[in-house]
Amino acid sequence: MGNMNRQQIEEWTNEVFEEEFEISAEKLKPDAQIFSDLGLDSLDIVDLIVALQKKFNVTIRGDKRVVEIRSLEDLYNYLEDIGRENSGDI
Amino acid sequence: MNKRVVITGIGAVTPLGIGTAKLYDRLECGDCAVQPMPEWNKYKGLASRVAAVAPLEDEKTISRKIRRSMGRLSIFAAQAAKQAIIDAGIDDAFLIGGRLGCVAGSTMGSAGSITEVYEMMIPEYDLSIMPSTKFFQCVSHTAAMNVAQYLGISGIVVATSAACASGTQAIGFGYDMIRCGRQIAMLCGGAEEVHPMVTGSFDVLYATSTKYNDQASSTPRPFDKDRDGIVCGEGSGMLVLEEYEHARNRGAKIYGEIIGYSTCSSSSHISQSNAGTMSRCMRQAMDMAGIEPKDVDYINAHATATIQGDVEEAAAIFDVFGSDTPVSSLKGAIGHTLGASGPIELIATLIMIEKNRIIATRNLETIDPQCKMIKHVQKNTDAKIDIFLKNNFAFGNINAAILCRRID
Repeated sequence: MGNMNRQQIEEWTNEVFEEEFEISAEKLKPDAQIFSDLGLDSLDIVDLIVALQKKFNVTIRGDKRVVEIRSLEDLYNYLEDIGRENSGDI
Repeated sequence: MNKRVVITGIGAVTPLGIGTAKLYDRLECGDCAVQPMPEWNKYKGLASRVAAVAPLEDEKTISRKIRRSMGRLSIFAAQAAKQAIIDAGIDDAFLIGGRLGCVAGSTMGSAGSITEVYEMMIPEYDLSIMPSTKFFQCVSHTAAMNVAQYLGISGIVVATSAACASGTQAIGFGYDMIRCGRQIAMLCGGAEEVHPMVTGSFDVLYATSTKYNDQASSTPRPFDKDRDGIVCGEGSGMLVLEEYEHARNRGAKIYGEIIGYSTCSSSSHISQSNAGTMSRCMRQAMDMAGIEPKDVDYINAHATATIQGDVEEAAAIFDVFGSDTPVSSLKGAIGHTLGASGPIELIATLIMIEKNRIIATRNLETIDPQCKMIKHVQKNTDAKIDIFLKNNFAFGNINAAILCRRID
């Protein structure tokens, strides 16, 4: 995912929420809280990681930074960081 | 003193459609739900290419968080359970209050989900790609657990697993829980799903129907001389069992009273059924009810159309009841829904007693000489049934029989 821009990351992430968790697109705003606003729970987080790994072809399971993610924007930022790390930019 | 137990709600998703009325109406019409399964042609060594498939519809009416732990059979169970609760007129306070329990059985967890797990796991031996809820779809108690989660049940939740007797054992367990006063009501039943793994497990034993792949509606053929084995089916049947006085006090409709139940086994053979053990099971149910064979007006047979099983059951019925009690099997119409067959067929029989009808054995054209000693019903018939017996027999020589009577 190294060459993905921010817009692509947001689109693909939102697709995961729509396809895996049946959440309508209008709810997927950057400040939406993943637990309280989007309604995911601890089981869903496991599936979110699995789905994101598949979508972006990355390994994020076990990454301690994941537990700090609260909002969609946090998630976009995290995935952007992962992309940069994978492309060797940092 | 033991409590009396009555049936006050029924629900079903079957190969003949969604709902108990659809089930009965299509049985009355003589319809057959068995269909060819061309998508199974890719499997080598699978000789039976027919199945009785139930409609999977409207599953998204179950919320995602509840549905995510359900495989195909649990969705059938949840839908049938909801129908049964509505039919019984159970209010939300009673449903979730702890005095109502749930017992549901299936031969195994969702075969489709189990297959998906291995398809994910085996190629790279990688478990990190496993979704969190797959396990809940695969476990043996998936139907009971998911039904209870879906409806908010907080009483006893138990799963039975004895292959084709699973659902009947579930009803028997529920009956015992109410009789002894542990619960006021129990939501009981079974569920199953069609899958090549399931049909294949019978296929390797030469127990499936293989001659009618191009004439699907001609099979299975219970008690017929040209029968050649079972056709697997799917769906769910769920019943609300309730303590009699409680049902009467709230003015519930009563479909019938369970008056006897037996489950027993034999170590004679893991897969071959045994007339002596079947007879014992039926007699024990009657002993419990305090009735004689002459008091039974109709027997809804297990009769899956295997070569050996039908002969053994006919011999057992003749041994206990002689030649005068009408007998039919519904599997010619809906296939063998395995763990769901007991509840689905019990529901159909409860509607028969309401309609004063006996549904004939579909595809029974020429009675096998080895099965001819009992009274087969080959045409739908008007009949007043006061007491009936429902049989189910399973691998492991595990038998189950339930006796019900009409309450006017």
